[in-house]
Amino acid sequence: MAAVVRSVWQGIREKGLTNFLRHAREEGYLKCLGDGNLLQTKIHNIGATLVGVDTFGNKYYEKLHDTQYGRHRWVEYADKGRYNASQVPAEWHGWLHHITDSTGDKLLEEKTKKFIREHRQNYTGQGDDLIYHSKGHALNPGQRDWTRYQPWEPKKEEAT
Amino acid sequence: MCLVEVEKSPKPVASCAMPALPGMKIKTNTPIAKKAREGVMEFLLMNHPLDCPICDQGGECDLQDQSMAFGADRGRFTDMKRSVVDKNLGPLVKTVMTRCIQCTRCVRFASEVAGVQDLGMLGRGSGEEIGTYVGKLMTSELSGNVIDICPVGALTSKPFAFKARNWEMKGTETIDVTDAVGSNIRVDSRGPEVMRIVPRLNEDINEEWISDKTRFCYDGLKRQRLNDPMIRGPDGRFKAVTWRDAIAVVAEVLNQVKPEEITGVAGKLSDAESMMALKDFINKMGSDKVLCEGNGPNPPADIRSNYLMNTSIAGLEKADVFLLVGTQPRVEAAMVNARIQKTVRATQAKVGYIGPPADFNYDTWHLGTGPDTLVEIAEGRHPFCSILKSAKNPVIIAGAGLFEREDQGAVFSTIETVAKKFNVTRPDWNGLNVLLLHAAQAAALDLGLVANPTESVKSAKFLYLMGADDVNLDNLPADAFVVYQGHHGDKAVYRANVILPSSAFSEKEGTYENTEGCTQWTIPAVPTVGDARDDWKIVRALSEVAGAPLPYDSVAAVRSRISMVAPNLVRVDEREPSVISAEVKPPVKQQVSPAPFKAAVENFYMTDAITRASKIMAQCSATLLKK
Repeated sequence: MAAVVRSVWQGIREKGLTNFLRHAREEGYLKCLGDGNLLQTKIHNIGATLVGVDTFGNKYYEKLHDTQYGRHRWVEYADKGRYNASQVPAEWHGWLHHITDSTGDKLLEEKTKKFIREHRQNYTGQGDDLIYHSKGHALNPGQRDWTRYQPWEPKKEEAT
Repeated sequence: MCLVEVEKSPKPVASCAMPALPGMKIKTNTPIAKKAREGVMEFLLMNHPLDCPICDQGGECDLQDQSMAFGADRGRFTDMKRSVVDKNLGPLVKTVMTRCIQCTRCVRFASEVAGVQDLGMLGRGSGEEIGTYVGKLMTSELSGNVIDICPVGALTSKPFAFKARNWEMKGTETIDVTDAVGSNIRVDSRGPEVMRIVPRLNEDINEEWISDKTRFCYDGLKRQRLNDPMIRGPDGRFKAVTWRDAIAVVAEVLNQVKPEEITGVAGKLSDAESMMALKDFINKMGSDKVLCEGNGPNPPADIRSNYLMNTSIAGLEKADVFLLVGTQPRVEAAMVNARIQKTVRATQAKVGYIGPPADFNYDTWHLGTGPDTLVEIAEGRHPFCSILKSAKNPVIIAGAGLFEREDQGAVFSTIETVAKKFNVTRPDWNGLNVLLLHAAQAAALDLGLVANPTESVKSAKFLYLMGADDVNLDNLPADAFVVYQGHHGDKAVYRANVILPSSAFSEKEGTYENTEGCTQWTIPAVPTVGDARDDWKIVRALSEVAGAPLPYDSVAAVRSRISMVAPNLVRVDEREPSVISAEVKPPVKQQVSPAPFKAAVENFYMTDAITRASKIMAQCSATLLKK
């Protein structure tokens, strides 16, 4: 607790009160008060190493000492309000889930990006236009034409 | 693969080449036999590419099956495989010649069944290749069959390439309607789409072959389809409407015209059910002008033997002399031609031909081009008479193209004179045949759709075209109301006032009678397109609205009505020969006109609405018929 107070004090001294408050809001410290998950993550972050930041702004931390086994890698989401696991892009997923030790940045360097599509989080429940519809679905604006025959069209010039 | 172990024999024995002797002890399942087979398989696979995942034959490949049954579980081959340049065999057959295992089945098929010397073996040893000589295309009308007989994926279907796998398709055993032979086919479909057509064994009709038109017309089933009822508005444009509106409009016009001004024309692809319904309906409306296109001004419908192939297609094999009058079976009925070719090849039967100069794939004697040659034969003045006289089983085949001639009666009575003179019809042998052109013709004549087309069309104020595209509409009065019921937007649609969409042969149950009088059914393989309905159902619905309801509303009921008119049409898969002989025919007083016979089929690949809509058929006529 003393460490928290000390770092707050240091922050105010460095940035001034207004800047510090803006910074605190952007970093989600104010949201911590109502969101226990976020608060716990913030507390966890103290003393941890920032391993990388992905294109969406999610921060990936690692702390190898004084943590429970298997809990030494975690993510702090860029979106402090509505965050979920589908916001982690594929390249960081492996690192985060202990599948690989190479970080997302390293993976991106190694792999060709030619055919990799941009990561898209799961928007379920976020509005009708964000719902995924299969290619044959009636609500898909680019609905595929499943007609397997070509109908006869009366020719324009035939109209006499 | 046929290697077996025989006791006291030092080596495995090829069982297919070894006569079995008494006391021989043959072991088929010993380690030695297995190892020998594995060795043979290894040699077969030595130069065969391992591209099964991208090969169209995958799943129905003989080599794949053999390799699964007899092959080793690993390969020891590490050298380079041989590769062969692909050959261009035309728009139908795709070649991947590296896959060829030199079984020469295609070469044998081309020379023995198709009767063309197009394919052959070039080179020797490991340089051996199958090919057409100096870059020729394969010009047989049966060329598609090499796809079936090729045991590997060296010869595959070009239009079907990479379209589907054989295990994802549903096979429907049905019959073909693009000519009058009624070849037995299997329609392979995936979902609502016909993917390919392959032959089915029927020794009496098509053996195991089908013509290219039958095999490759299927893409016509997907193009130019009529899918909505349409009415031509006052501005001349067609507008899609509901069935209720379309039928109401037709019924209204129908009740305004005089009964004798109503004409119904059945098309060449119509099934017996719809022709029965059309005839009953038009008759009920008070008119007897119902006809089927292609049967000419005065169809010989009274005696069945006058329009059937009385010898039967399989019976042609017993013949030793053929006389083809005004018919070119190679384009009119390729399967009948294959049968004649088989006979000629097996027994050196003589073939005489009267008609316009034509291309045959067996030796023919071109006797003349017109009826005068026929008269010469009838009077015994022609050198061909000596051949006919010495023949044991002579066969005369007259083309259905003769039906269109004005002097049809006289020509046929001359043919009958020839038949009588040379003993062509005997109690034990009936060699007098008519080769029909269209699938609907025989059934139409059985059911009595025999009105005169010129007069009926000239006097029509209400013309009901049931898939009839080739009927001559030049004399049709300008104010005539034309209803076109059919499955393709073809020639006659442009004259129609109302279009009623119906189902094609792959989408309905229908009865067809082939040229030898064998009744067969089509089975629906795919659903109908859009809002289309079965032909006879449309006529039935229209009759209800027009106030003269037909007394049947199920296929079974229509068929029981058919059995009253032509009972042979309900005895399916049976060839019913004519029981009355031609002798009872009244004498003909007509004179034979000197006009030469005309070719009945101009373009083998495009004869009806389906084949005219087909892109593949258009390609074939562009490349293969080029002179």
